[in-house]
Amino acid sequence: MEAIVVIFITGLLAMFIGIMNKPNLVIITSLLGLALTLVVQNCPVHFLPEKYQLLSFGGYANSFASLAVIFTSAIIFGGYNYLKQEKSHTGDYAALLLFSLSGAFCLIGAEDFFMFFLGVEILSIPLYVLAGSKKKSELSSEAAIKYFFTGALATCLLLFGIALIYGGTNTFNFHAIKDLINAPGTNMSYVFVGMLFVMSALLFKVGAFPFHFWVADVYNGSPTVFMTYMASVVKLVGVFAFLKLFQTAFGEIHFFWSGILAVVIFVSMFIGNLSALNQRKFKRLMAFSSITNGAYALVALLNRDIASEVNLWVFMLGYGSSVIAMLTLSLTLNQEEDVETTSFKGIGYKYPFVGVVSIIALLSISGIPPLTGFFGKTMLFASAFNDYLLLVIFALINSAIGVYFYLKFIMLIMSKEPAEGVEVHITLNQYIVLGFCALAITFGWCMIFFI
Amino acid sequence: MELLITTLALGLISFIVPQKNIRLFGLIASLIPAGISIAYLMAYEAGSTVQLFDPGKVYQFGLTLEMSYDAIGLIMIVLTSLSIPIILLSNYNMESSRSKLFNALVFLMQFGMLGVFVASDGILFYVFWEFTLIPIFLILYWFGKRNNKVLLKFFLYTLVGSLAMLLSLIALGSKSLSFGYADLLNVQLTTNMAYWIMGGFLLAFAIKIPLAPFHTWQAETYANSSMAGTMLLSALMLKMALFGILKWMIPLAPEGLENFKWLVIVLGVGSVVYGGIICIKQNDIKKIFAYASVSHLGLITAGLFLFNENVLKGAMIQIINHSIVSIGLFLVAEILISRMNTHNIKEMGGVAKLAPKFGFWFTLILLVSISVPFTAGFIGEFILIKELSELHLYSGLLSATTLVFGAVYMLRTFQISMHSAPKTTHFEDLKWNELAVFIILMIFSIIFGLFPSIITNFMDASVTQLLNTFNELPIVK
Repeated sequence: MEAIVVIFITGLLAMFIGIMNKPNLVIITSLLGLALTLVVQNCPVHFLPEKYQLLSFGGYANSFASLAVIFTSAIIFGGYNYLKQEKSHTGDYAALLLFSLSGAFCLIGAEDFFMFFLGVEILSIPLYVLAGSKKKSELSSEAAIKYFFTGALATCLLLFGIALIYGGTNTFNFHAIKDLINAPGTNMSYVFVGMLFVMSALLFKVGAFPFHFWVADVYNGSPTVFMTYMASVVKLVGVFAFLKLFQTAFGEIHFFWSGILAVVIFVSMFIGNLSALNQRKFKRLMAFSSITNGAYALVALLNRDIASEVNLWVFMLGYGSSVIAMLTLSLTLNQEEDVETTSFKGIGYKYPFVGVVSIIALLSISGIPPLTGFFGKTMLFASAFNDYLLLVIFALINSAIGVYFYLKFIMLIMSKEPAEGVEVHITLNQYIVLGFCALAITFGWCMIFFI
Repeated sequence: MELLITTLALGLISFIVPQKNIRLFGLIASLIPAGISIAYLMAYEAGSTVQLFDPGKVYQFGLTLEMSYDAIGLIMIVLTSLSIPIILLSNYNMESSRSKLFNALVFLMQFGMLGVFVASDGILFYVFWEFTLIPIFLILYWFGKRNNKVLLKFFLYTLVGSLAMLLSLIALGSKSLSFGYADLLNVQLTTNMAYWIMGGFLLAFAIKIPLAPFHTWQAETYANSSMAGTMLLSALMLKMALFGILKWMIPLAPEGLENFKWLVIVLGVGSVVYGGIICIKQNDIKKIFAYASVSHLGLITAGLFLFNENVLKGAMIQIINHSIVSIGLFLVAEILISRMNTHNIKEMGGVAKLAPKFGFWFTLILLVSISVPFTAGFIGEFILIKELSELHLYSGLLSATTLVFGAVYMLRTFQISMHSAPKTTHFEDLKWNELAVFIILMIFSIIFGLFPSIITNFMDASVTQLLNTFNELPIVK
């Protein structure tokens, strides 16, 4: 609970320090604040009670929250070179990211639809602003408007769904809803319809079929740093909240939503992968790959075991680190925001460090052992194997399709003839972030031995 | 365990060795794992299963991380560890041997393959199996002809097969407590389920070996890769698949073997004939040897599925023999290609007169590859063909064509490239390292040809044990 306070205060501080036009001070403050958050979150001693009626970080929520903090720190640290470009705005950017993260905490800890809705909104609203933060770029404005309007629609759906569920059960609390489902006096038709609305809103946030249309444009238009945040932290938090909500509140009506979700996953995987096949814009490629990987992550919901949270955690660790590594790499190119995949040609051979990191990251996303991505994916698929055999088979087929374009990309990066005019300038902070990501991808899976 | 750690460490050390010493370092360092593996060989007690690593608990997701080997695994370990120095030696004068990256990748590759041979945990096996794909891919990509399309095809083919195997392993794991080998053995399957599981394994192994309808990646990949890449692929990597059949596929899903073996025997015998026929009309020397490999390995695979004492021993001898032959043949191919600047045997000729030493050693390797008596190939093929004939007359007859076809295409290759009208006036004879490789290979081949009992006696107890466990497995009819 203190963690949310710490993040929020850090955000405020960052904003006010931003007035001084000293970007490095802003970044240092934010990173220190995030480090403090991590400590406070995992410290066994708490000043404020740990459990509230609306909010609790029990179970695996803590691990997910910590992962979100680590990802955010990596993004802010690695994106420093971009964030400082407009000195007067560095504070705003950092503050908005931190506010969004505090929303993520609300969402992760939510035990109640009240907090859940607040979390979703606090998570999203700063992102609408950040998506359009490059005011002179048309793509960025397009992204912001698209994100805002579709996001507003999702909010409506979510609210309407919550209202219907409240109508059916007379409560907002997840655990109470769980007990009230199938109890006499509960209007189940309200619950069913409301659940569908809530599900739609969450699918929108996660970027899964049939609410995936915004993903490619918004990701492509937003500045790379904020896109990284959307693809890693928002996805992580979104899927976890989805999992928590549906396993606690709607666990009893598993039969009703699991079929729908399986279809959603099935279609999302194919849409993401097939659209990415011949994609030449780097950020769009990552966007489509994030649709597919979001779908893989949703497989965790199909398994009613507690282990699915572990599986999801390992998977998101691998995926998030890979995304952060790849997008940070694209920031080090001397290209405009609109990076083509061909800009990467040969840089891996010219700069071995870049080569190693990108090979590790891409192999991990495509699920080649012994990297974290492989273990996450395999654990997710294995957990769904007994009930959803066909889905698992198609997921594996999709893995193979994915390997096709990731491998083509690797071959492009490792080519011996470098693209003309492309230079890579990696600063110390980016070295640290890239190295950290590479380590997390290579050894992150060892966490399963300590659980 | 020392073996795995050493190879991994060597792989990493290769990056920091100074450029001018790397070639010698690679060659000498590769003798360390070879020495360790021979020490394993000396310390091995017949019939025992040596536990390399056993944490003794089941981790999240059913991982056990067990590693162990028996005589069969040990033979594969020694084969791998001894082949690597020979491959590095034959590669000694190539440009790639001066690259840090190349040496590092070879050691990483060795690490992966040794892992495959010792893994006693389904997921661990798969991890090592897939891991080998990364270094070989990079070797092919950086030190070959850089034909992206061919490489992509190679990677995707093998990956799709592996994913099918992963599915089979997950299916087995979902029915058992953990992915440990012992637990997986005790899984009871319905016959129908066993077919699917065997099918998944078969897809992975048939692509890797490769058997006839799944072989399309192979010839092009060989033709486009450097010599070392081809040797690693053909002499060692394919053996992982044969070993996988022996240790994983058949024991884990024995319920399906009775009917499933016909499918594989048809594919295997088909490969024998198909590979042989293609070879006769082929002119690209690397492709000839690639298809010859299809033909020879088809025979081994078909034999393995009979799964009795004789074929296991015969197949093992043949596996060793094939490694010897393929290292020798691809060295021959590289010598011809690099000095004649062509892949086409029709454009070679008259080499025997210009390079008599080369001609002599080529003849010897050729004789080993067409399995004349007193070479290891003879014993292996003889046992396999005998057992296949006992199964069915036609399978025996068709598999025996390998002897005829082998003689035809190998002698044709030899005759056209070495004895036809001279196409060149200058042909450098064997360098010292090439000569050394040929001598080492021939010594091994003749030793195993004269005394195959060295191998068969060594693995006798383990084979009996494997067959005993197999026969005691719970089988639901």
